[in-house]
Formats: sequence, C-alpha cells, structure tokens
Amino acid sequence: MRRRDFVKAIVAVPVTATSMFGQTTTAPSGEKTSAPQTSSTSTVPPADTAPRSIDQRGSFGFQSPVIPATVPDAIATTEGHFFDARQMATLRKLGDILLPPLNGYPGSAQASAPEFIDFLISVSPAERQHMYRSGLDQLNADAEKRFAVPFADVNAEQADALLRPWLRVWMRDHPPAEPFAQFINLAHEDIRTATMNSQIWSIAATSAGERAPGIGLYWSPIDPDIEMYV
Amino acid sequence: MTEAQADVLIIGSGHSGGMVAKVLTEKGISCLMLNAGPIVDFQKDRELKPAYELPYRGFKMPGRLEHVFQATEFNANTWVDEKEVPYTYDQGNPYNWVRVRLFGGRSLFWSRQSFRLSDYEFKAKDHDGFGDNWPISLADLAPYYSRVEEIFRVSGHPDGLPQYPDGNFVVNDSPWSGSMQRFIAAGKKLNVPVCKPRSAMGRDGLASSINLLLPDAIATGKFTAVPNVVVRQITIDKNSGLANGALFVDRHSRREMSVNARVVILAAGCLESTRLLLNSGLANSSGVLGHYLIDNVYGPGVVCSVPEARDGKATPDLMGGGALIPRFRNINTKAKNFIRGYALNVSSSTRPMDPRNFAAYGADLQKKLDSYQGSGFSMGMMGEVLSHYKHHVSIDKNVVDAWDIPVLHVETSYTDNEFNMARDAVDTGVAMAEAAGFEVLSRNYDPNPPGYSIHELGTCRMGDDPKTSVLNKWNQSHDIKNLYVVDGSSFVSSGWQNPTMTILALSMRAAEHLAEEMRQGNV
Repeated sequence: MRRRDFVKAIVAVPVTATSMFGQTTTAPSGEKTSAPQTSSTSTVPPADTAPRSIDQRGSFGFQSPVIPATVPDAIATTEGHFFDARQMATLRKLGDILLPPLNGYPGSAQASAPEFIDFLISVSPAERQHMYRSGLDQLNADAEKRFAVPFADVNAEQADALLRPWLRVWMRDHPPAEPFAQFINLAHEDIRTATMNSQIWSIAATSAGERAPGIGLYWSPIDPDIEMYV
Repeated sequence: MTEAQADVLIIGSGHSGGMVAKVLTEKGISCLMLNAGPIVDFQKDRELKPAYELPYRGFKMPGRLEHVFQATEFNANTWVDEKEVPYTYDQGNPYNWVRVRLFGGRSLFWSRQSFRLSDYEFKAKDHDGFGDNWPISLADLAPYYSRVEEIFRVSGHPDGLPQYPDGNFVVNDSPWSGSMQRFIAAGKKLNVPVCKPRSAMGRDGLASSINLLLPDAIATGKFTAVPNVVVRQITIDKNSGLANGALFVDRHSRREMSVNARVVILAAGCLESTRLLLNSGLANSSGVLGHYLIDNVYGPGVVCSVPEARDGKATPDLMGGGALIPRFRNINTKAKNFIRGYALNVSSSTRPMDPRNFAAYGADLQKKLDSYQGSGFSMGMMGEVLSHYKHHVSIDKNVVDAWDIPVLHVETSYTDNEFNMARDAVDTGVAMAEAAGFEVLSRNYDPNPPGYSIHELGTCRMGDDPKTSVLNKWNQSHDIKNLYVVDGSSFVSSGWQNPTMTILALSMRAAEHLAEEMRQGNV
C-alpha cells in the first residue's frame, strides 16, 4: 500500500467507528422503548455511552493534580538483551575503568551506564552495533591473550596496558579511523555521556553546588504531522 | 473555491522570505506567504529539562537525523526529519542537508556571523581567472548591506581591510583579553590579521525573520501567511507563459490545493527552491539550474590551552572573547596549492575543556580536566568552496517524500583546492598558537561533509547571460519575468563568509526592484 493510501485508511477509521457506535445505540426496528414520549414524533434519546457523545467542556476549569512522577531510572533497572553475557561483563568492566566513582560523583556502574548503552546500541544502526560487538570481543580476546583472563577480571595495571595504546586525542565528528581505536574512544565518550546525563549524577552535581547540571533547552514536537501518529 | 489573488506569493519564511515580505508590504503590495512547517510558540514549545528525563538520556535518537551533526536530543524536533523528506546521494559522497521547516526557517537558529562579501568574491574571476564573476559588485550591494546591518544590529569594528569590508556597525570597542593580545601579536609576525568578530545582536535574543522582519510586514495589514502547506509545483499561465501561482499540499491532511498570484517569489532555501523549479520544469533554458552547488568548508580546526590560565588562574583579563581572522591568502601573495581563501573563527574560553582533548581516562583524565579548565583557546575554519558545474542536484524520480513529491539527488564533493586550503588553515592556526605560547592539544584537518555548514548556495546562479545563468542580477528569472528566487541559490561564488547578510541584502534589493517593476507595469 502506498503511504498516502495508508494515511487515508487511518483517517477513515473514526468515521467507521462512529457509524458502528450509532448502530449499537439505536433500538432495533419495531422494539418498544421505555423512554417517555413527549410527542408522537420526538423521543428523549437513551443514555449514550459512545465516546463521541461525552461532553468535557465542563472540565475547562479543572486543575490537574501534581502527580509525584519520577523517571524509570529512579526506581528500576534496564533489562539488557543486546550484548551477550561476556560482552556485557566486558562493557561493565570498561565502564568501571574509564569512569569510576570520583570526588563524590558516581561512576559508570552507579549510573547504570552499561545497561543504558546496551539499550542504546540495541536500537542503533547496524554499523554501530557491529563496532560495539566486535570491539568488546576484541578487548576480551586481547585480555585472554596477554593475561589469560577475561577483560572483566583484569586488574588496573593490565587494563591500562590494554587500553592506553588505543586512546586518541580527537575533535568532534572526527573520531579515529582505525576500527578498534574508534571503538575505544567512542565507547569512552558514550560511557561518560550516559553517566553524566544520569539522574544520580545530577543529584551528586547538585549536592556539589553545580547549577543546573545536565539541564538543556528541550524542544517539544511542534504541531506534529500525522506521520508522528502512525 | 476562492478567486482571491495575492499580489505576490512568497514561498518560505526565513530571512529572505521575511525580507521580501517586509519590503513589498511596506510599499503597499499584498503578500501571501506559504510555509511548509508550523508556527513556533516559544513559550509552549520549549522548556528546560534535565537530560535524564529524555528518552535517550541526551543521546541523539539512534538512526534519526543521521546527517544533522548539529542535532541533539534536546533540539531534534526542530530539524526536518530525513525519513519524512529524504534526499539521495551516491555512496561515498555523502551530503549533509540540514533543514528547518518551522515558520522562520533557519533564521531561528543561525550562528549570527554577519559579513559582507568583498570584490575578492564578487569579482573573483578577475583575481585568479577561475569560475565567473557575479553580475554585481560590492558597490551595488553596499547600500543594502548597510540597511540590513541596521535592522539586525550588527556588532563589529571597522578594520579597513578590502577583503573584510566594513559596515554599518554597532561599534565593538571592547578591550582584547590577554590571550587574544598574544594571539594578535603572533599574527603580526606571520602577517595574519586578527580582527573583532562581526555578529548580529538582533533583539530579544533572536535575529530572525519572525522578530526583525515579519512584524513590519504584519503591521501593514498587507501580509497573510499559511503555515503547514508544502508546495508541490509552480503553475504557469499557458497563454502568457508567466507564473500564476502554485499547487500545494496540506501538511496534515494531504489535501491538494492551488493558489493564484501575480508574482511568485521563491525563498524556500537554496535546495528546496531549486527542487521546486526542477519539479515544475521551469526556469531552466540555460541548463544550469541545479548546477554549481557550493557551500563553505567547516570542520578543520585547532584546540589549544593557555598555560598561564591553568590550575584556577584564569581571569577575565587573560581569558575570554572572540576574534575573526578574515581571508588573508591570495590577497597580496599567492598560496602554493590553492586559490581563494578561508577565515578562522577564534575563541578564548573560560569554560570546561572537552575530554576528547586528552588521551586519558579515569582519575588521570579528571585531573587534567580540572587543571586545564578555563584555559581553552580554539580556532575553526570557514573556507570557500569552488564552484564547479559537475557539482549539482537533480530530481530522483524513484524516491518521493511524505507528500509524494519527488526528492533531490545530490552529487558533490570537495576537491584538492578545499583539502589543501584546510591543511593550510590548520597549520597556520597551529603556528600562530605556538608563536603565542599556547599548548596545542588537538587539531583536525578533515572537512565535515559538504552541506554541514548549512550554507548551501549556487544552484540558481545569477548572471547577465541567460544562456549561462538562471537569474539576472535582480534575482529575477531570465525565462519568467514574474518569478524571483531570493535565497542563497543565486550566489555565483561562496566566499568564506557566512552568507546571511548577503542573502538579506540581495533579497531587499530584489524586492525593491520588483516593486518598481510592478509600479511601472512591467511585471
């Protein structure tokens, strides 16, 4: 179906639904109604339960209550499913090494950055997914080869020996071209962003006296197109 | 059906559309403006939020706005969605087409750098033999620049450099910080001028069409706008061969409609105006419509640290402020491996440093960030892209947008001239920084993809010869005299400059020409 035809079908739904509701609230032909008749030609219609008939104009003065809402991260953990167990263990260790808790601020683990990145990469383009999976696999393989332990079990000195050769200085939009260096440096950036944009980091930053940590000017969807609804 | 006919139909609401609306309505000419997107309510549509409240924790939604490097999760809803309005390009030659369809267009978000072109751009062929001259000179446009600069309240300092023409400035006599003074001194040793930047201050925090131009049009009572309508085609009167209106599609319902007008002005942005003409099959007797796509090279740059500002010793006297190195290559001397030139935006910052400037992690990285905070000094290149016929856009008949309108195919890339220029810009920046005693932390020689600067230009170029240009020197179609194109598509060369002031001056000039032609009955 061409997209425009699909949109037409969507637009047509309420009309069909209204007709259907109309049929269900109309007494069958010949059936007597119990509603009192005021004349031979007019009747008081039966109570209409169809959504179309609910008049909410009386609620214009209603003030919505302040719901004590919070964000999911405050009360739940992300159920990761993209990386396998070994890749996830490698990513958690990488987060612990690259951004541990420092100076009263949470680290990668406290911000659940690895779990968030699992989600983020699961919905990312295939190229990004490949970079992460192959990068984590190589990091683990390097650890096994050099130190005979998984990356998740390396000590700080071993981790430094594995990571430091791949750290680069780079400018925005121009990450290193070598695949493994690209992974290490982009993963580093992702871990920092996922951690520093977390609620737990914001709480710590506020406690430390930072003003408006992680606050930005957010633009809502503006007069969304029908495309946004389908 | 309504038979009402607008005097002038304006398609697009950004700087150029706003300017022609202001000029024409103030002369008593009624204008109807069509815009593809909605009107922004700055109170309702924006709010301060922490990143952790956003669905992707501040990351750009994966797969969305792939070519909009400027997009974040905070501003993602302001850009045109590439799935809704796609475009195509050859793999290996990506193009970043960065679009805004909100009412006011990209004028809501531009960087506000406000420069005049000089005759090193208008008459570039006379200097180096490449390409074509514009059919106008700085003297033709200077009076219009002055009026535009007054409206936009351009802050700047007169420097007396022919390649950096002075303007009608709100004069910036602020003192240079110590780091800037050292950089200026380093520039003198290398014969590189360092000047005050030039920037539109605007009013109320905006320098846009919707606050500086359209209010004047609205005040005349001669202006009407229709948001959320996507123009599909310019229509032509079969008898006269003149433009007589447009076909458009309601953005929400997809209802097809038509509107009549005496004159049609395209102000939809360079590539959207070009796409509309190509889809309409108009204004292309020259065969150059869609060709000569140009922009500015962005991306190459240098990040440094001022050692004396480290470890909490940054002071307002030492750090802060911006500067502009205007083009200095190929003015009095000849560069060895490129023609034309570039500028460098310079910034001295007291803000935290970007961690990407350090090959470190964990506590070691944090120690460096703490030490270097407030000592940043950076440069970013803005370079001219040469105009080539082969760099062009065409209609991709196999792909349509959300309103079944065929999309653009973009074929362009940078050439050795741009790459060599970029290398020179970075090497020069590094040399100046080192001469000033700064520590160079990072450098990048690679340009961002074409289009990134959001300065697409040139695909409806102006010229005196109808056989080699789409528009005449008044932004008027050679082929259809009641059709004007007033956005950046008329440019013959890009220069290094942000094009906005030139687009505004050209659209003001075009509108006054059109008003006079209408008064005389020629249009």
